[in-house]
Amino acid sequence: MIKNIIDTIDSIAQADPDRPAYNVLGEINTYGELKQASDGVAATLAEKNIPAGPIMIYCDQSFATIAAMLGAVKSGHAYIPVDTHSPNDRLAMIEEIAQPVYVLALADLPIAMHTPVMTPAEVTAAIASGKQAANLQPVQGDENFYILFTSGTTGQPKGVQISHRNLVSFVNWMHTFDLPMHPKMLSQAPYSFDLSVMDLYVGLAAGGCIEVMPKSVTDNLMQLFATLPRLDLQVWVSTPSFLDIALLEPTFDAAHYPDLEMILLCGEELTHATAAKVLERFPEIRLYNTYGPTETTVAVSAVQITQQVLADHARLPIGIMQPEDAVSLKDAREQDGHQVGELVISGESVSKGYINRPEKTAAVFSTAVDGTQSYATGDLGYIDDDGMIFYLGRTDFQIKLNGFRIELEEVNHFLSDAPMIRQGVAVPKYNADHKVAQLLAFVVPEANDYESNLALTKAIKSYLGGVMMPYMIPQRFIYRDSLPQTQNNKVAIKALIAEVNDQ
Amino acid sequence: MAENIKETVLNILQDLTGEDLANNLDDNLFDNALLDSMDTVQLLLELQDQLGVTVPVSEFDRSQWDTAAKIIKKVADAQ
Repeated sequence: MIKNIIDTIDSIAQADPDRPAYNVLGEINTYGELKQASDGVAATLAEKNIPAGPIMIYCDQSFATIAAMLGAVKSGHAYIPVDTHSPNDRLAMIEEIAQPVYVLALADLPIAMHTPVMTPAEVTAAIASGKQAANLQPVQGDENFYILFTSGTTGQPKGVQISHRNLVSFVNWMHTFDLPMHPKMLSQAPYSFDLSVMDLYVGLAAGGCIEVMPKSVTDNLMQLFATLPRLDLQVWVSTPSFLDIALLEPTFDAAHYPDLEMILLCGEELTHATAAKVLERFPEIRLYNTYGPTETTVAVSAVQITQQVLADHARLPIGIMQPEDAVSLKDAREQDGHQVGELVISGESVSKGYINRPEKTAAVFSTAVDGTQSYATGDLGYIDDDGMIFYLGRTDFQIKLNGFRIELEEVNHFLSDAPMIRQGVAVPKYNADHKVAQLLAFVVPEANDYESNLALTKAIKSYLGGVMMPYMIPQRFIYRDSLPQTQNNKVAIKALIAEVNDQ
Repeated sequence: MAENIKETVLNILQDLTGEDLANNLDDNLFDNALLDSMDTVQLLLELQDQLGVTVPVSEFDRSQWDTAAKIIKKVADAQ
């Protein structure tokens, strides 16, 4: 059992400094280099006498990024990873909400910050400094380790605070999955998405090598499939959507990927069709479906999908709880012979709440008398007699698109804020497997001079690109003179959802 | 036949982007954020379903598929 994440990774560096830790397209850094680089960042930060509080990291998928993240926690500060693909407004909003005490920039910042900044050149110098500080007090116990910003309904993102204790609980559970020795793990998700924690910390704490697939490669299918076979992967970590892309290539199979032993999926619903295809291509592989909101540290339940599970269930289960957490149902009622309710998760891996947002925290988190933390997920489901959990849908307007979590109300907020739009609502279009295939926007435009709807769409997309994450921007815009209303004079979103999905 | 391909491709693109691209055949679909990488996957699946054109994903170089005109030509060549 791991007691301390930082000590565990450092002790691998001391015992086996030349062991590969991080591989970016053939550029390999060892555990020894990771320790030296993160020590250098920690010591440089310590010299600055900065007050307690989180450090924002403007990050990509480079080795310097993980050295900066570990350096921050070694110096006693939680880190807030903010991806370089984030729009400027989101950067500013996260700074305003989280009140970071410092910014480590791995790339040039696109806007001026109100917080002291370590520039990319200074971060590089800190990494190479060879400095070691004697009196560091690394993050431990209930102190925050990382803070991840997710979609918020009002257009204001919420920062989920994950403590060292939360992370240790998650990593220890994942280490019971019988990982290969020193696993070579796929790392494809950006660090602002908590799926990345499943490869980075689970892998590093096991002495594994993180095999990075940069976004620039995954964006171009030809490059993706030229790179993938060269990674000699043993453990695949991704969303089902990303796995679906890999499965498009007929040579993505056991014969061409003989080292691949396990597939860990998280972030959205795994469909029966995808799982069946995986087992057809990789008959011997251990395929796991895992489930969990960011608020409970990446994942809290898992189930191995076998031919038997496929035969038994048309809609796949999301697993059995990790041993240090429990699940219960809120407002349960009978439905098709099951008690169906909102899944409430409590235990070691549950976050303390959203940073600097007490009212949002109180709405979904609670603390029992004995200190046990609970989170009401907004996910609807039921639990069978063996403790197996089945997901049925949402209690609200949150969706998952390609693994990304999106609050429709947040998208609506940005749509209605756009100067070209009088009124706009986002509507998900589902495929036959209950997955969101596309996000549409119904829009009543302001009077305008655009020569065509195409020109208007381009202008709107360009505007939205400056204020919201790319994955939240609707793919299609449908223009109307008015939108249907409910009796309370709100837009009848459910009617539009039904219209789009032919219900 | 060629007109048929053009019409089908434009219909597929309209389903994906919401836009009629008939008069904007040379617009860059990626630069204009009309398509993203997940959409391209959908595009390939639709081309396979509707036109029987199988494009090996390992040969999908985005720069050769970034306008409606290029996609129509690629599909016509493949048939």
